[in-house]
Amino acid sequence: MKNLLITLAVALAACGAAFGVFYAMNDQPALRQAAHEGDAMAWLREEFHLNDTQFAAVKKLHADYNVVCAEHCTAIAAAKKRGASATEIAALEKTCVDAMTTHFRRVAALLPPGQGERYLAMVLPRVNDYDHNGAPTVQVKS
Amino acid sequence: MNTSKPDDPLPRTLADWRVTPPRDPHFRTAVWSRIEADRRAPSWAGYVRMHASLVAGALAIAVAAGGLIGRDQARARVDAERATMVSSYVQSLDARTMRMP
Repeated sequence: MKNLLITLAVALAACGAAFGVFYAMNDQPALRQAAHEGDAMAWLREEFHLNDTQFAAVKKLHADYNVVCAEHCTAIAAAKKRGASATEIAALEKTCVDAMTTHFRRVAALLPPGQGERYLAMVLPRVNDYDHNGAPTVQVKS
Repeated sequence: MNTSKPDDPLPRTLADWRVTPPRDPHFRTAVWSRIEADRRAPSWAGYVRMHASLVAGALAIAVAAGGLIGRDQARARVDAERATMVSSYVQSLDARTMRMP
């Protein structure tokens, strides 16, 4: 009986050790840290394994796009404020979506081989799947 | 406090009561053989050798279960944080979701 209990205890310890080892092997703390802090650039760097050159290029692309994005934002907000027609707002939003899609494709082109497709598979489905509630929470630092 | 009555038969019955168990000539031998059996119980190493396949199977199952659960939990956690991050990232670049100050 005592030996059976020891065996069970050893099996339980082995189970716990295997859990810890496999958890650590499959965890991505740097990526989670970036996500937790809402730091999009750090997340991109970790997620898509960017080297310094690629990271600098992606960062610059985002900084440039922020200007474009702000212009679109202003135009959409102004149109809504003056009570523009739904057609006009839809056209502005389409311009925004097109610019965003182009931006994502440019970013994808800068990523390491294979990572660009993965990036696009993550972001493009979300371009048309947005809601107007909730402000952005990540930092796309320039 | 004495609660027994003078004519109570119980004390006399108890006084006369004698236990006469049947003699067991093997009693002593049986006790010693049980003591000896306990003394000779295999150590855990011996137990493992005696039940090698059973112990190995139990350990393999424990390691596999722990590993699978650990892997799945880590991946689920990373996937959840990634999904939140991607949504926030796309939203942060989406002029439609921005608000003017």
